[in-house]
Amino acid sequence: MSESLAVGGALARRDTAEPRAAEPRAAEPRAGDLGNLAVLDTRRKLQLALAVIWLLDGILQYQPVMFTKAFPQMLTAASAGNPAVVASGVNWSANLVDHHLVLLNAIFATTQLALGLGISWRPTVKLALGASVPWALAVWWLGEGLGGVLTGTASPINGAPGAVILYALLAVLLWPPDRNPPAQNPPAQNPPAPFVADRNPAAPFVADRNPAASFVAARAVGRPVARASWLVLWGSLAFFALLPASRAPHAISGMISDMASGEPGWLAWIDHHAASALAGHGLPASIALAVALALVAAGIYLPSRLTRPVIVLAILLATLIWLAEGLGGILTGAGTDPASGPLLALLALAFWPAASTPPPPATPATPATPASGA
Amino acid sequence: MGGPGWLTDIFAALMLTVAVYCASRLVVARRWRRPTELDTDGAHVVMGVAMAGMLVTGLRSLPTGMWEGVFGVGACWFGWRMVQARRGAARSPWRCLHPVPHLVECAAMLLMLGVLPASLAVRSAAARMSGMTVPATESRFSFLALVLALFMFGYVAWVGDRLTLRAPAPALASQRSLVGAPAPAPVSGPAVSGPAVSGPAVSGPEPGEQADATTGSCGGAGAALRYLAPRCSALCKITMGVTMGYMLILML
Repeated sequence: MSESLAVGGALARRDTAEPRAAEPRAAEPRAGDLGNLAVLDTRRKLQLALAVIWLLDGILQYQPVMFTKAFPQMLTAASAGNPAVVASGVNWSANLVDHHLVLLNAIFATTQLALGLGISWRPTVKLALGASVPWALAVWWLGEGLGGVLTGTASPINGAPGAVILYALLAVLLWPPDRNPPAQNPPAQNPPAPFVADRNPAAPFVADRNPAASFVAARAVGRPVARASWLVLWGSLAFFALLPASRAPHAISGMISDMASGEPGWLAWIDHHAASALAGHGLPASIALAVALALVAAGIYLPSRLTRPVIVLAILLATLIWLAEGLGGILTGAGTDPASGPLLALLALAFWPAASTPPPPATPATPATPASGA
Repeated sequence: MGGPGWLTDIFAALMLTVAVYCASRLVVARRWRRPTELDTDGAHVVMGVAMAGMLVTGLRSLPTGMWEGVFGVGACWFGWRMVQARRGAARSPWRCLHPVPHLVECAAMLLMLGVLPASLAVRSAAARMSGMTVPATESRFSFLALVLALFMFGYVAWVGDRLTLRAPAPALASQRSLVGAPAPAPVSGPAVSGPAVSGPAVSGPEPGEQADATTGSCGGAGAALRYLAPRCSALCKITMGVTMGYMLILML
């Protein structure tokens, strides 16, 4: 999967710069460069970040509490308020897990661990990303009850539309290119690192569906689809923020204070203070949150120079949501994933506009000064 | 240990396997004069044994205080290596070139040795009794453990990203190719007592003598030194990173 790797040369220096059709895509990766994470292509970096989250998920699933009855009880709770067709699937999976708790939980954890390792290893990145989509969709339904979006209680603060659906969306948006055009640049002369994956002559060039995309997420699915997915996601968050379950006077403060239970002191302090500040102000808080989310949703259609502040706002909101979620409860020893905050931030980074590439300087008419002149 | 017995047994077996394999690397590297990261492999030996003992009580070999001393020395070694790297000191394929991950791993070992036993004892007791977990407020180091675990997962992903199916490249292609070029960049693992496990263990070049290592010790100018099973070494690092991440997560 070295095709998603664009390292070395000019692209390494302007990492977010999109490749242009009129210029060479990137120099062939140099072995010596690969020891430095900074030379990786932005998409590959985001893929690795996604791999890290999958690894974290897998190891969290190995926690001792997941091998107890608490895990199927957690699954059963996800069925509350859902339509029968959704709830029946959730209850079925909870019963199945309850009867084969150790085996199934070990399989779940190992699968997530394998997805993380598969994404990080280039030869299997497509396989792992592809497998993560049905896995995430299945968990979204059978484990999270569709994130509660049909229950009427969904809110960005309680993780709607479900963290796991964001894994699937990220897998699609960070999908590697389909094929590899022939190499255009000669291999570099640096001494090779011991086991780097950079010496596949067919691999290093990126063949994107939309190589002129101005952000990473558009490379795989194209700009319109990527933007539409952004609009739907953040727009739905804005919608959820305005539901009665969120705009009730003590709704948001109640959600935040509930998250504080079992958290370390510093996080509980943050959550308690945030909850007390918002107590009784559910309507204005939900409106403000919805406006900010709607601004983020629509902001992706602004020109690039205006998109950056929108992405920064999205990352800020993701951070606030993550804190309100109590970091997904992972510090309580009972969390199964880091919740939606980090994934929203990762998604926002995938939409960060590429830096515009300055035109190449004109060739000077005078002879170049000798390099040794200094 | 806090997890199911069979799970901790598996992790402990993996750690012992890594330790034994890395010990054999030290021997083979000396015999075949194939470059390997001596400090990394030595660290894997010590770390594998220590982690196996932390996972399974019956595998404990040394008192906690001695392990803390060992990993304290390791942290100092890799801290020194990090300073050297920042100063632009000459690199050697016989030493780790990316000491920061190993420094963090040594710090994680010190944290686990100091905190993990008590934390796990409380957690296991609570899990047995009620099936529920211990509030994280009882663990003062939970956030630090999470940060270290995330670092380990990032390290695992980084190593995995650089792992290839293809045959590994020579450690040093030739003396000429090294002049003015960055040194090879093997991914390194944790390490322990650098001076004790490095240099003297192999009759190859000392750090900063990579040109001599290429031409003098291994076949003259133009000869290529091939790293000793670098992909196996990477797998050891991945295994070590995942296991350490698991142990750190148990501290949450």
